[in-house]
Parts: sequence; structure tokens; C-alpha cells
Amino acid sequence: MLDYAAKPRTAEPSWLGGLIAPAIVIALAFVLYAVVRPITDDYYARVAMNVGIAIIMAVSLNIVNGYTGQFSLGHAAFFAIGGYTAAGISYYASIELWNSPAAHEGLFNAQSGLFLLATIAGGLVAAAAGWLVGLPSLRLRGDYLAIVTLGFGEIVRVLLQQTNNQLDSKAKIAAAKWSELFPPPLNAARSFINIPNITNFFWVTLMVGACLIFAWRLKRSTFGRAMIAIRENEVAAEAMGVNITRLKVWAFVFAAFFAGIAGSLYAHLSFQLNPGDSGIQRSIDAVIMVVLGGLGSISGATLAAILLTIGNEWLREPTHLWYYVLPLLVLRLIFWPANRMKAAIGWLVALGLAEGARSLAIYEGVAPGDYRMILYALALILMMILRPSGLFGTREITDLPAMRRKLLNRKSVQRGIEVIQ
Amino acid sequence: MTAPLLSVQNLSISFGGLKAVSDFSLDLHDGDLQGLIGPNGAGKTTCFNLLTGVYCADDGEMKLAGESINRKKPFQITAAGMARTFQNIRLFQELTVLENVKVACHLHARQSLAGAVLRSPFAGREERAIDDRSRAILDRLGLLARADEAATSLPYGDQRRLEIARALATEPKVLLLDEPAAGMNPQEKIELTQLIAFIREQFKVAVLLIEHDMKLVMSICEKITVLDHGETIACGNADEVQGNSKVIEAYLGEA
Repeated sequence: MLDYAAKPRTAEPSWLGGLIAPAIVIALAFVLYAVVRPITDDYYARVAMNVGIAIIMAVSLNIVNGYTGQFSLGHAAFFAIGGYTAAGISYYASIELWNSPAAHEGLFNAQSGLFLLATIAGGLVAAAAGWLVGLPSLRLRGDYLAIVTLGFGEIVRVLLQQTNNQLDSKAKIAAAKWSELFPPPLNAARSFINIPNITNFFWVTLMVGACLIFAWRLKRSTFGRAMIAIRENEVAAEAMGVNITRLKVWAFVFAAFFAGIAGSLYAHLSFQLNPGDSGIQRSIDAVIMVVLGGLGSISGATLAAILLTIGNEWLREPTHLWYYVLPLLVLRLIFWPANRMKAAIGWLVALGLAEGARSLAIYEGVAPGDYRMILYALALILMMILRPSGLFGTREITDLPAMRRKLLNRKSVQRGIEVIQ
Repeated sequence: MTAPLLSVQNLSISFGGLKAVSDFSLDLHDGDLQGLIGPNGAGKTTCFNLLTGVYCADDGEMKLAGESINRKKPFQITAAGMARTFQNIRLFQELTVLENVKVACHLHARQSLAGAVLRSPFAGREERAIDDRSRAILDRLGLLARADEAATSLPYGDQRRLEIARALATEPKVLLLDEPAAGMNPQEKIELTQLIAFIREQFKVAVLLIEHDMKLVMSICEKITVLDHGETIACGNADEVQGNSKVIEAYLGEA
């Protein structure tokens, strides 16, 4: 009797099984919007939504950098393209339809429908740009591709700076000459302002959920496996019949689509878009999240996005006691499989660092946020020394129980050997 | 005489001024087991790379099951029914043994990406079929017990075995083995010989083998082609090749 035949079977696949996760996401989105948001301070709500946007950026970049192993440094360009496209559509359509770009009350209304369409349009335009960037990736590898994507980011930035000045009323739009409408009046050289403030807990949760479900199912599907095979060994993957050309471009398209959606959420959260919002810094932030979390790990990218975004806020004003949780968690994760002694030292070091930063900020008036990049760099260096594969390696949070069991088994076996000796 | 499964006519390629392979011809019929031998640098692996589309031939004609595979990409040639293993093992190291085989099943997957992401019943059933098929192949090659281990954690001989399993998962008609016995001890070589005979029988594939180990090649191959400096210097069964003066010269130097 063969092993695989004796394996217990789950229920016959049906459409229903695939609907459970989306249903949970939608329910969660409603709960967060209707129950949690009213009792949340505006500042924390804003941080939470930034966390969501960072998760989308990290998890989508992970499809390119983590799954297929191509090194992209231009993720912010897709963010900008999606953001400006969506903001342009919702801003001008709001003026045309309602004479004002101000956001309407309520969760579901004509304007939120418009926002949803604009967001998807932003994602699609970004995806088209992703396709364009994906093409050189067929010929280029590693550092060379990184430089190309970097260059692409700059091109997008410069092109955006050529856009026309913003038009702020229906009359001005009607009177505008063609030369004022093309390039589109997105005012990206300065600041595109008064974008309707539509992004809320519901939409962020919905989009984060969509991104996570997509990334997860892609990874677990035959397409995801083929993508990871490309990362592991391109020559072998192609020899095994994987169409590497197609999958590499697809990876860029998917990643760009979700980055565009993140850009739209960000634009409709911040009232305004600046060229600086989509600079190289944002690309590098996303890369750091992916590397810190572990290349290819969705859980890792998500966790790193949460930690780094909250960390940013903490560095801005490291006086809240509850932020201790953050460095503690990081260090606990770094020293995961280590023994208790090491873990205890890790906790102490974390406490010391947090307390040090806090006192500095209070007594010396230092703004640790200014040293953010230094701290990121230090965190990365530490990470590369202690856990070069990232917080999660290539594993996922669902693998943790099995990992823990394995670890325990190993320990008990060792103890057993000691007893015998 | 039926038409050959794989027919190669006057295949040539040069790198700069170096003629790596010139006028290589070969006919492989259903169920054949042929060998390709030659001293180091004779162009054996280059031949494989030409056949599998890694390199593009300057000249020559390749047909697989009556269909021209000239200028096709590696994955298209694999889809047409020719799979290979590598001289230096190229497994997907971070993936498990089972996943390595599953990747090779991607070729025949018919689900759409939308189906995979929306979890359509079709995609679910296909994913299950891929799992079953991969396990069945691993079982036949004796690797099922290690299905969930990382590919890198396998001992050397098993890694070679896994490469063969992976190639078989693409459902090839022709299997190209590039020095499968390299680095194996005598016991492993005997097992490999049995394995080659077994897969030829079980999976109904024609096998073309590059090998350095003369004993192994001479004992199992029905027909052997000898290359030296990119040129075919001899072709025939074991006895004919062994008696050929050019072959002796190529291996032992001029008398």
C-alpha cells in the first residue's frame, strides 16, 4: 500500500472553500471600520493605516524580489504611478460631479464607488508600467536589473515633474487649453493637494486582505512554485519546462498592480501627494522590509512592515512605554531558536536600547527619527550576522508549530542522550 | 524501420573561433539507450545544451517526434518531450524534494492563474493530481520517504536520483542524462545502472547518456557515439567503439 494513497483526504474542492478567506477579510473590514475606528485616536488610526499600506508594499515587492529572486529597486515608481492616477481620477471626477473634491460622509456612496474604480485604475496603470519594466528583466540579472529599476524610478519621478499645474474648479477645467491638460494637471512638481480623503479602515483592510490572499494563493499554487524555482535555479527551471520569460514579467505586473493600489490608498489618506512620497526612500524601505522578513516569506514581509512602520513612529517620539514591545519582539525573533540565556540577554539589551532612546529624547531633546536610516542599517547588519535568511527565512507563520515541534524533539533527544551518558 | 524519435543532423556550433561541435548527427529510436562519450572538453555537454535549446546551433537540423525543435527555447523543447539532468546538480535547493518534482509538473498544468488565485474546483483538483503524481514518481524512485525534506539535505546519490525524478515528471519521450554517475561510489553506480534500466522500462523513455565511466557505458548502452574536439570520431556498439583506433588514440594519446 502506497503512502500517498493512504493519506487522509480533505473535502472535495469547491468554490466555497476559496470564499472563506475573502469573507473573513470583508467581515473584519466592517468590524474595524464600524467598531474599532470610533474608539481609536486619530493619530493611532493614521499609523495603523500606514502600516496597512506598508504591508501591501512589502508583500507585493516580495513577489518580485522574494518569489522570482529578481532584485527590484523601483517599487516606489509603481506606488507613484498608481497614486497619481487614482488621485487624478477621483479629484477631477469629484469636481466635475459634485463641484468639490471634499470627501462625502459615509462608507458606501457614489464617491466611494468612484474611489474604488480610481484605485483599480491606478493599479492597472501601474501594472502596465510593471509590464514595461519587466521586459528588460528578461535579459538582465542581479545588480544590472537593480540599476535598471532604479533608473526607471528616476524616469517616473522626472516625468511626473513635467505635469501641469493643478486646476481647482469646474470653470477652470472647462476653460483649460489642451496644453494645460496634457501632460495631465497633477502638479507633481510641487504638491497635488485636496485629494478627497476617502481612505479608511474599511478600504485599507480590504486591500491588505486582497493583497495577502493573492500573494498567499499565488505562492501555494503551481505558478508560485514555478516562480520560486526560477529564484532557486533559473537554468534548471527552464529545463523543467517553466516559461521563465512569462513568469518573470507576470511577477512585475502583479507587484506593480498592488503597489499602485497602495499608492492610491496613500493618496486618499494624505490629502496630498508630493514627489518626495514616491522617492527612492520608499523603494528602499520596501526592500528592507522584504529582506528583514525573509525573501519569499509573506508572513515575514508583513511582520517587517508592521515593525518598521511602527518603529518609525516610535523613533519620532520614543516616549510611549508600550513601544517597548516592538524592539523586544524584534530581538526575540532574532534569537528565536537560541537558548534561554541568549534570549534573556536579548530582552535586556532591547530594554536598555529602548530606555536609552527614551531618556535621550526626553532629556536631551534629541529626535531619534533623524537617525532612522542608521538604525535600519544597524538592524540589517545585525540581521545579516545573526539570521541571514531574515526573520522567517522562506517559511510562513503556518509553519511555526511544526518548526517548534522539531526544535523540541531535537532538544529532548539531546537530553535523552545526555541522560544515557 | 520506423522514423526515429529524435533525429539530429549535422549539428554545429562555434564559440568565437572555436568549433565546439561540428557535424553532430544522431538517431534515437523508441526505447533506445545510447551513450555519448569522449575525453574532457570533447563537446558532450555542449551537445546536450544544443539539443535542449540552451545554445542555439549555427547549423543543423533537430527533430523530436517528427517536429522540428530548431531555435526553440528550453521550456518549449521540454514541453515537446525532451528532458535532461545536469552534470553539476541543479536542484531547487530551498524547496522540498516533493516540491522539486511538483515544479516539473507545472508544464502540464492546465489551470489559469485566476483559477489558482480564486481557488476554483478545477485548480484544486489539478493541484491534488500534481501532488499524487509527484508522490507516485518519488515512490517509484525510492525517494518518497524523504518527500518533505529539503532537497539539499539529501545525500549525493539521492540528489542525482531526484534530478532524474524531476526530469521524468515532465513526461519526456527522450531523457538526457549528463554524467549521472559522476562522483558516485561503485555501489551507487550499480544502483544507477539498475535505475536507468528501470526507468527506461517503466516510463517508456529513450535515454541518451553522457558518461565518463567506461564500464558503465559499455555495459548498458546499445550504441555509443564518441566525440573528440567536437567531432564524431566513432559510432557503434561497445565492441566496435572499443576496437576503433581513433577512439584509442583520443583516450590514450598517439602511440
